[in-house]
Amino acid sequence: MLSSLLLSFTDYRIVNTPKFIGFDNYTRLFDGTDQYFYNSLAVTFKYVILRVPLGLMFSFIVAFLLNMEFIRGKSIFRTIFYLPVIVPAVASSMIWIWLFSPDLGLFNSFLEALGLPTLNWLYSEETVVPSIVLMSLWGMGSTIIIFLAGLQGVPRSLYEAAIVDGAGAMRKFLHITIPMMTPIIFFNLIMGSIGAFQVFTEALIMTQGGPNNASLFYNYYIYREAFLFGEMGHASAIAWILFIIILIVTAIFFRTSKSWVFYESEV
Amino acid sequence: MKKAKRLTALALSAVFTMTVILTACSSDEGSPENQSGVKPPKDGEQVTLKFSFWGDTIEKKTVTEALKRFEQETGIIVEPMHVPSDYLTKLTTMVAGNVAPDLGYLSSGAALTWAEDGKLLNLTPLIESDPDFKKEDYLDQIWYDYAPGKTIGMSTAVEGYGLMYNKDMLLDAGVELPPTEAGKAWDWDTFIEYSKKLTLDDTGKNALDPAFNPNKIKQYGFQYDPYNMMAAVVSNGGNFLTEDGKGFGLVEPEAIEAIQKLADLMYVHHVSPTPLQTKSLPDMALQTKKVAMTVSGNWALQAFAEQDFNLGVGVLPKLKDSNTLLDGAPTVIFSSTKHPAEAWLLYKYMADPESVLPLIAGGLWMPLKKAWYTDPELISKWASGNKAHPEGYTESFMKQTLENGIRTPGFEVKNLAKINALVTPALDLVWTGKETAEQALKGVEPKVEPLIQGYYGR
Repeated sequence: MLSSLLLSFTDYRIVNTPKFIGFDNYTRLFDGTDQYFYNSLAVTFKYVILRVPLGLMFSFIVAFLLNMEFIRGKSIFRTIFYLPVIVPAVASSMIWIWLFSPDLGLFNSFLEALGLPTLNWLYSEETVVPSIVLMSLWGMGSTIIIFLAGLQGVPRSLYEAAIVDGAGAMRKFLHITIPMMTPIIFFNLIMGSIGAFQVFTEALIMTQGGPNNASLFYNYYIYREAFLFGEMGHASAIAWILFIIILIVTAIFFRTSKSWVFYESEV
Repeated sequence: MKKAKRLTALALSAVFTMTVILTACSSDEGSPENQSGVKPPKDGEQVTLKFSFWGDTIEKKTVTEALKRFEQETGIIVEPMHVPSDYLTKLTTMVAGNVAPDLGYLSSGAALTWAEDGKLLNLTPLIESDPDFKKEDYLDQIWYDYAPGKTIGMSTAVEGYGLMYNKDMLLDAGVELPPTEAGKAWDWDTFIEYSKKLTLDDTGKNALDPAFNPNKIKQYGFQYDPYNMMAAVVSNGGNFLTEDGKGFGLVEPEAIEAIQKLADLMYVHHVSPTPLQTKSLPDMALQTKKVAMTVSGNWALQAFAEQDFNLGVGVLPKLKDSNTLLDGAPTVIFSSTKHPAEAWLLYKYMADPESVLPLIAGGLWMPLKKAWYTDPELISKWASGNKAHPEGYTESFMKQTLENGIRTPGFEVKNLAKINALVTPALDLVWTGKETAEQALKGVEPKVEPLIQGYYGR
């Protein structure tokens, strides 16, 4: 890690001895000499902003449903939702390429059957990032499990007390479940954001950053600089900026968490 | 106390983040995958070479067997290192960690830049001092020179391009079969006309019919990866860079015209699937009669030979001149090798078509040696009388490659990876029909120009 910080101040192309060039790698990024930096930042932020809230909502809802007492075959559903996590990212990318296929894919057949206009999914600049977000929801198994564990940890006595007080399902959900779950939501928010900033495999396997750089995610950009262009020093600088961004975002979350995260032990 | 807890948590998550980011960049994957068959040296002089390569199972088997035979013939032990995916990443890591193999395949872009930085051996002295090796015996176009007079060696194999088609479909449509001789190559208009005849909508009308519905095409006349547009560009008298190596060749009128003509096949003539529609075509589009004709490199013949259909081959349609594109990544010797002389022995051995004959006869590769293109006895060993080399192959692929084969820009253009990082997104706009070739390429020209550094060895 330290060596990468040092390398980020050098001109290092794997094959030469690193040469110290001060902040050149960084200024090249910020003054726009490197034409992909702002583009990849924008793409990545778009992904994070879409994916993190959607992912949290989706997995929370799924976990909540899986936790309902009246649902049968819960263990089967739980397995089904967790399964994608253990499927290798490369394999699942291949499956999704097929699902997204504009002419033969499942999604477009579905849209067609409903009489809706079809989409180009991964192959148009407008829909490529939302498509990858959609795909990521499929792999939210770990987050769902964490939510599920949290839901099961909410003391039943609270619900019983609420029922005695005459609270309905909605009130129980809003005033007991959600507040008791805030630490878990907070944890998943942090982990989800860190994960989202580092989205990579999809770009590598499915889009190679295209079309027209619309899915040039930050980590793919680092990979391309490092391993396709061999610019290790430059790539180190880019990686460090991501580290700082994630650090700042995490710090902001921690700051704001005071006002909404509820710790039972701190009552 | 609470604050301390938060700080600890923040610090922990920071460390976690950084670890995750950096493991991707610094993972040490230097260990070879395959160390089979390596015996401890009998005495102090035992030489062991490590040869790294990629390829499918057939290639893996053939190359490994060739290395084994070399081992038996020379007593030099060879460790094959087969890397099926992420090859460049792995090799980069190995080179950075000072555990590079002695020799092996390498992608052209990395090879040329690494050679400039001294990571690869300049083979010129070895070639010149070797009485058994004559450079003239090998094709002229296959050499990767990183500076005038300095070479990192040859392509691993020759890969010429040509037209491949489903003969039954052309016969059914009453279309004349594509010519196999350069002098008789279809001109562009003939090519478009026949392609239209072979393009059918869901009611069976072809693209020449005024009632043809381009939105419901069930059979395409022609399919081609348009990003591989250099054959058309060169056929029209253009090139990737200008002749002096100082200008962006793709914005010259000849290149723009050629690229636009390829785009028109999709959006004006509707005879060729767009990149989007291509994604929906099956891999075996020729066999399943979704596509009548396609352009691909020689390697495609290996797969076609395994499919059951009436394969035909011909020369590419021409714009001005009949020619073909010639591709192939180099095999190189790393300068870190402790045994350059033995590595060169192995290098020569692997460049000999005889050593890797199954790959050549099987259709994956074309041989490096000129004699295999001219001597009937040698030709009969690979280019005729087998399924991978249908009738007409010797003219349309073999002769055409030898006489009119143009190198892809990867052989000679400096800084190509970075230039292509700009050109490819620009071409995305052309191949998706959003902009004309002129708009897209002129649009990206100001960004490309500062990256142009001319040609390597010429």
